[in-house]
Amino acid sequence: MPLALRQMLAILLLAVIPAVATGLWHPRRPSWQSDEVTLAAAGAWGQSVLWVDARPDSDFARAHIPGAQPLNEDYWDDLLPGLLDHWDATRKVVVYCSSLSCQTSRDVARRLREEVNLPNVFVLEGGWEAWERQQH
Amino acid sequence: MTKTRHRIVATLIGLLFLYAGCMKLLDPAAFAVDILNYRILPWTGAVLLALYLPWLEVLCGAALIFRRAYRGALHITAFLFALFLAAYGSTRPRGLDIDCGCFGHGMHRGYWSTLAVDVLLLAILVWLIKSDVRPPVQKL
Repeated sequence: MPLALRQMLAILLLAVIPAVATGLWHPRRPSWQSDEVTLAAAGAWGQSVLWVDARPDSDFARAHIPGAQPLNEDYWDDLLPGLLDHWDATRKVVVYCSSLSCQTSRDVARRLREEVNLPNVFVLEGGWEAWERQQH
Repeated sequence: MTKTRHRIVATLIGLLFLYAGCMKLLDPAAFAVDILNYRILPWTGAVLLALYLPWLEVLCGAALIFRRAYRGALHITAFLFALFLAAYGSTRPRGLDIDCGCFGHGMHRGYWSTLAVDVLLLAILVWLIKSDVRPPVQKL
């Protein structure tokens, strides 16, 4: 076997050991359960869903999912109390941003879990674009 | 002189890989999300890669710096750059506008500048691989 190939295999195998340790003990290890939900799955939850709109205020003012509460990182402290007024322990929080590739819904969902300690916080796959597509 | 130049370049790329791997290791959960955003792997695949890839980068970086398993590390590093080039290059045509996740979560760089840097580094790695071919042993 050529030297380069042997060395490649050694490195590839060696990386498995710390990777397993990271998966077991790293404080910021990812969960094996995805927090993304499809529109169909969220729709099946019916009235128990509390929609959270993580887009900028101007986008929220233009249009949003009926009943959604605005919460973005620019005005976090101002908007959070309004969201909590609508929340109770039976509700599932589904955060959305503008599209499939936007990141803000994940950041808002993470802060709701870690800073506000809300359980059952999910991210809508496809975001507002998915909702709009379904309406048309 | 050429040998020294090779060593300096390989060490710099090694440091870059070491830094990239360490930044990803700070928050593997966020890196899994970055991988998922490419919409190539399902969540489980993204988690597995988020746990494995940073360590592969750290090991390759260390191997390039300390010249242990050097040739193997060069090949893996070049392969990773080529893989990233294909994956990230495909995002814009697929209508995605995402962070590359190259140096951990939240680093914003432009699409074309990211691709340009990647192509440049890949070209350097190919040059290092080609120039590392040792001459055949002379038989007496």
